[in-house]
Amino acid sequence: MITYKRGHLSIAFVCMVLGFMLALQFRIAMDQKASLPYQRVEELSARLIETEKERDALQEKVASLQQVQPAPGNTEGEQMLRELRLRSGLTALTGPGVIVTIDDSKIKSKAGENQNLYIIHDDDLLKVINELRAAGAEAISVNGQRLMATSEIRCAGPTLSVNNVRSAPPYEIRAIGDSATLESALRMRGGVMETLQVWGIQLEVKAAQDIVVPAYKGASKFSFAKEAEEAAS
Amino acid sequence: MILALVGLGVGLILGSLCPLTIPVTYSKLFSVALLAGLDSVFGGFRSALDDRFDNMVFMSGFFVNGLLAAFLVYAGDRLGIDLYYVALLAFGLRIFQNLAIIRRYYLKKRR
Repeated sequence: MITYKRGHLSIAFVCMVLGFMLALQFRIAMDQKASLPYQRVEELSARLIETEKERDALQEKVASLQQVQPAPGNTEGEQMLRELRLRSGLTALTGPGVIVTIDDSKIKSKAGENQNLYIIHDDDLLKVINELRAAGAEAISVNGQRLMATSEIRCAGPTLSVNNVRSAPPYEIRAIGDSATLESALRMRGGVMETLQVWGIQLEVKAAQDIVVPAYKGASKFSFAKEAEEAAS
Repeated sequence: MILALVGLGVGLILGSLCPLTIPVTYSKLFSVALLAGLDSVFGGFRSALDDRFDNMVFMSGFFVNGLLAAFLVYAGDRLGIDLYYVALLAFGLRIFQNLAIIRRYYLKKRR
């Protein structure tokens, strides 16, 4: 039937090359399937869920540990401890004050104009908080993050990082203090609110009688600072 | 016939053992070259059934077609013309044609 007159070896060689290419292509296709981006996405989302669970568990642990009260007895020491916790932001506080809600501008930026002017930046928020502090705010939180002595407010891409926790607009600032003073400090003519509203940034101030400012949830540990031996002047 | 199958098997084993990989940018070219090679082999098989087999035509067809196809796809990529699909279609059509002729040959022989 089939008769190869000559060149049997050359046919075998060609078939060998073909087989080589086939195997190579097969392996490449397998590799590509194994590295498809959606598998990466799946893996990452699974890890995210896991980490979130871990975080929730740890937060619960922190809450339960913070509820452990020192043994009563030394009333003076106890009172001092309470005072310190109050001042350092380790306890949730409640009282009269204002709730300020800030959101990005709804105005469409005109062509050629800098879009950055219409979104909230860290300095906008810092101005508001500075004004609140100047007006005598005693406790402030941004999107549920209590501001403490070491808190930062910083742009982190399109989001804002407070206490190293990122959040996206709208930002809700809660401040405890004399609500009338706080409100008028923000609404001052030529003040923060007016400046920001030029760019269409939505700023809403609401006075309330029972504002709850949450406690600081993160870890507090000094790894560099130590107590100085003698009081430096 | 047996020699060809042995060659194919050896090639498959070599290919799966060889640590060589082709970068993603060239995988398109490689797959077209592979298709051209397949086309040549089926063409050679068919011509052998027709008793028109020519070793030189077969050998040159295999290598020149593969390289030419890869080069055309590469040039098309550079020019913004997707010759990849054209090559796929052309070689695919020819492979199916050759397979049909081979099938008919064996059917005729059985009668």
